[in-house]
Amino acid sequence: MTVVSMTVNGKSVSADVEARTLLVHYIREALGLTGTHVGCDTSQCGACVVHVNGRAVKSCAMLAGQAEGAEVVTVEGLARDGELHPVQKAFREHHGLQCGFCTPGMIMTAVDMIRRKPQLDEQTVRDELEGNICRCTGYHNIVKAILAASEEMR
Amino acid sequence: MKKSLVAPQIWHPEEVSEAWSLLKRFGKAARVLAGGTAVQLDWAAGAPVPEHWIDLNRLDDLRGVTELADGGIWIGALTSLSALRHGALIGKKLPMLCDAVGRVGSAGIRNLATLGGNVASGSGCIIPALLALDAEVELFTAKGLVRRNLRALLSSSLTPMEGVVLVAIVVPARLPAKTCFEKMGLRRAFTPSVINAAAGLWFDGAGNVVKARLAIGGGITPPQRLSAAEHSLIGIPLSALDWTSLKRDMLGEMRVPSDAFRSAEYRRNVAANAIIAGLGGGVALDAVAGKASAHCFASIPAFVPVPYSEVEVSRAAMSERWRMRPDVTAKVEGAFTYLTDIRKPDMLVGRVLRAGYPHARILGIDTSEAEALPGVHAVVTHRDVKGLNGYGIVIPDQPAFCADKVRYVGDAVAAIAAESEEIAERALALIRVDYEVLPIVDDAERALAPDAPLVHESGNLLADLGLERGKVDEAFARAAHIVEDVYVTPRQMHAFMETEGGYAEPTPEGGLLVCVAGQHGYRDRMQLARILDVDEECIRIVSSPSGGAFGGKDELTVQPALALLALKAGRPVRLQLDRWESVLAGTKRQPMRIRMRTACDAEGYLIAQEVDAIADGGAYASLGASVVETALEHVTGAYRIPNVRSRGRLAYTNNGFGGAFRGFGCNEMLFAVESQIGRLAEKAGLDPVSFRVRNLRQPGDMGYLGQVVAPSDRGRETLAAAAASDLWARERGVSADGRKVIGVGLAVALQGSGLGSAIGDSGAARLSLAADGKIEAAFGAEEIGQGVLALIQESVARVLGCERDDVRPVIGDTAKTVDSGSTTASRMTYVVWRSASETGPELSAKLLAAAAKEMGKQSEELAIGAGGIYDARRNVPDVPLLSFAALAQSLGEAERPSAECGFAFPISHGTVEGNARFLHCHSAVLARVAVDRVTGMVEVLDLDQHTAAGPVMDVANYSGQIEGGGVQGLGFTLTEDTLIEGGTFTSRNFDSYMVPMIADAPANMRVFAMEELDAGDPYGPRGVGELGISAVSPAVAAAVADAVGIWVVEAPFSPEKILIRTGGMSAPAE
Repeated sequence: MTVVSMTVNGKSVSADVEARTLLVHYIREALGLTGTHVGCDTSQCGACVVHVNGRAVKSCAMLAGQAEGAEVVTVEGLARDGELHPVQKAFREHHGLQCGFCTPGMIMTAVDMIRRKPQLDEQTVRDELEGNICRCTGYHNIVKAILAASEEMR
Repeated sequence: MKKSLVAPQIWHPEEVSEAWSLLKRFGKAARVLAGGTAVQLDWAAGAPVPEHWIDLNRLDDLRGVTELADGGIWIGALTSLSALRHGALIGKKLPMLCDAVGRVGSAGIRNLATLGGNVASGSGCIIPALLALDAEVELFTAKGLVRRNLRALLSSSLTPMEGVVLVAIVVPARLPAKTCFEKMGLRRAFTPSVINAAAGLWFDGAGNVVKARLAIGGGITPPQRLSAAEHSLIGIPLSALDWTSLKRDMLGEMRVPSDAFRSAEYRRNVAANAIIAGLGGGVALDAVAGKASAHCFASIPAFVPVPYSEVEVSRAAMSERWRMRPDVTAKVEGAFTYLTDIRKPDMLVGRVLRAGYPHARILGIDTSEAEALPGVHAVVTHRDVKGLNGYGIVIPDQPAFCADKVRYVGDAVAAIAAESEEIAERALALIRVDYEVLPIVDDAERALAPDAPLVHESGNLLADLGLERGKVDEAFARAAHIVEDVYVTPRQMHAFMETEGGYAEPTPEGGLLVCVAGQHGYRDRMQLARILDVDEECIRIVSSPSGGAFGGKDELTVQPALALLALKAGRPVRLQLDRWESVLAGTKRQPMRIRMRTACDAEGYLIAQEVDAIADGGAYASLGASVVETALEHVTGAYRIPNVRSRGRLAYTNNGFGGAFRGFGCNEMLFAVESQIGRLAEKAGLDPVSFRVRNLRQPGDMGYLGQVVAPSDRGRETLAAAAASDLWARERGVSADGRKVIGVGLAVALQGSGLGSAIGDSGAARLSLAADGKIEAAFGAEEIGQGVLALIQESVARVLGCERDDVRPVIGDTAKTVDSGSTTASRMTYVVWRSASETGPELSAKLLAAAAKEMGKQSEELAIGAGGIYDARRNVPDVPLLSFAALAQSLGEAERPSAECGFAFPISHGTVEGNARFLHCHSAVLARVAVDRVTGMVEVLDLDQHTAAGPVMDVANYSGQIEGGGVQGLGFTLTEDTLIEGGTFTSRNFDSYMVPMIADAPANMRVFAMEELDAGDPYGPRGVGELGISAVSPAVAAAVADAVGIWVVEAPFSPEKILIRTGGMSAPAE
């Protein structure tokens, strides 16, 4: 077992886990933050995307130990003072989800995308979302939500 | 599935030399960790966890991109792919490399993954691009830093990177003047590589090639330079090149393997095609793929003179009716709790031991060692099953735990509850099962041969259904045109994002609570009670919410194991299948082989249809026979065909097990029927609309099985809307660059809802005023993502006259609801609407009476509005005279009004042969596709669905169901198939099962609805859970035919077959 420490959603956290523990399991099981989901645990589905040091990563593609000392943000850490992040609001308003299981990964990918590319167009959104599976929606409203959020945040 | 239990040691060297020393010290026991993104993939593929990890991430000198003094470009091995992709220097100087990097993984992976990792793997997707740039590598070795040519390194006989640390990749100063790169995959993006190809050419002043680098690699293809072909280019200008002979040269020297997904021949051809297209453009492509020819019918099809009124179902077009679903806020916050999220302090972890053999006799099961392992609290097998050791929605032939034999690889043999995942895993390995392996049957037709091994003692023929009507042979004898073919449909996987799981716990009252997402909690309870041999009332099932279902959670999944474990351990137990176990154990769509022969007369009127379908049901029955029955209910689609002979058989095999999946036989059959219609139209010289117009069913016609059907037949109207679509006028034919051929296709659907006439189908609900003043609407319905919560709120609010927020849906819990029937078969929309219609007026009257009493008024003076009770004569918006909350407070629990209903789902009365639906909805689907002449792959550009299912109850959920069903239908058509060989799954996870990603979904999707019902149609809104998938496959097939003149009959469409038929590769020698 190894003690792994990092900052998650602004709070310092620490947990004793096995060295092979993936970051996603550290977040879900050790910290109890279940907003981050596991759809495949082989980096195929994108339901587990979180931000590590400001970049969107698939948290099942990373050992918890690799994030030692890092700043991690999960979907639970996006809202500020009870106010939803503009991307969360846009997913709500545009019905960018159905079962909601892929949603946290979609939202975290979108937030990173908008930060890097303030002038988003539809093709860029579609290119950037290439690694996130949504089995319910056909992706249409997800694209609309991200474009609306990007517009809102400009 | 099983993970090694080794706890590795992680090293963090600060210097390259230190990393090299560690590598040397631990040899094969060590693994280098750069981005780390391949680690979990390797585990999933069964690789052991290494004893030592050498994490290079502190070696900051190995990061970054620099231009060297000699003009070369030095790229540190630890540079992340996203840094490369977005770096200015690479973007400017090496755009081809930038492109190649962008085709690896996805952004969330490229932020971690490194160029060094991609190269050092020896099979990375970027290697061909680097070979085409003639790249070199900088290595740290026993001799210190050395520079070597990448090709020389890769072709050395040693494992290329053994004993060395990759420091950097160096691209020499003199860059090729012309380059190309292409990654060919199993789908359009974020895909495993089928093959990657790249080229770099250097020219002299006269435009002659002086140096050439042609390379392939990626996926299972070892990196290779095509030296002979390179040589053939030297000394001539591209304009003088014989592309055909270049292709021959390239094909001749490529060493490429095959796998279950694509043949070596296909890989070689697409690699060669890509290099030629990349170097020479459309002209060159014509030279190699010149046989492809557009086959567009000449003009936009006939206008259909039928009046119709439709609305585009979207937020933009219906903004005044656009509402947010009640569960949406928690879902975007990450605060929404799925049943698999729940943890309790004393909760144990469950695991299931699967058979691993597709067919074997169990000689003995010894669990003693597992039971003795500290931390194990329960081990269960068939010996613990007190009741019926079987489940299955129609036929309960699937054991909760196998006793005498296993019939598919995912069969459950035992299960364990332990204190941790690690202990559960270790205990699983301690269960000894002795098997005698039996011969398998892995093909539905072979299963029906007299000498086939028997999956069940009762025989392999599970169902043999069909009917004959009219004079079929006589009609074929006088036919003007006949089309006959065999259509094949895939073993589609539901691939819900949340795999099967949840928890169970004994209750203090001596009962059992089982919380597992399902599609009919009451039926789950009945099946579970039968297994446990207890009264149903002893079991409480919580079956919502669910992270997707699509039919795949209709049957029991992990409930029997969880229930038995929790009861035996006397503690809460949780259990969730990982993705591989879900693939292995879960239900799938039954593959069908449909032989169909269809005839029309000289005027294009359909006269005869003959269908012989055979479906692979896998090892257990579940409700598989009903799927075949539903397929047979649609053998004439939306048409009048007077002479019909149909037969459908379902066979047991050792191929997993089949069951319900959105569409439920209808979309499979319509793929065949609508393709036949399109082909007959061609033969009859009619456009696809005109042919359909003359053959469509007419309002008032009996159903296919001779049953009376509900009014509001909108077959003609939806077809008219599709005929008038602007999609026909968009670009068609060969694209400007010559690479793609674009076509438009049409198909129509008639989709039934409800379980049909053969079995009981009923609905029920209860409305009541809760203590806090909410109108509680209790339904035994499941929220599987489709939006039943919004539907309940809307339906009840409409009838009562209050707001959606006044209504609190209570669902998915047998302790709190009534049995509304299954959340399947597109039936719940009707059930909810009907329940609201039946209970609403009664509750309304009771609420008004209670309010009148409280306020000392007459009921007639009052009316229900937003939030409570109003003066009936009010003419301005205001606050209620009495809020629901105040009303509730004024009443004792027993006085609070409620209303309940129960009713039979509408079915067709009278005698019919087979299972007949009464309610139907309609769609006409247009697809516009581009066929890639380099790869034979089909891209769907536009998908329009013109639907008619009665009033739209919720705009977002209606369009969501049609769009989502549509893309699932595209998966069925183009990429999805669970590969199984010898009863064992080749598809294991989302890297070997191709769910459509966003790049595979059409950028343009429109949903239209015709909301009006016929005067006197009392049946309200019809569900659209399945309508969106119904006619997608044949619309795509027709569009491909429009583009390249080929009707593809096997789904998913084989790019290889399309490429052969369009001239992009030769047919393999027989």
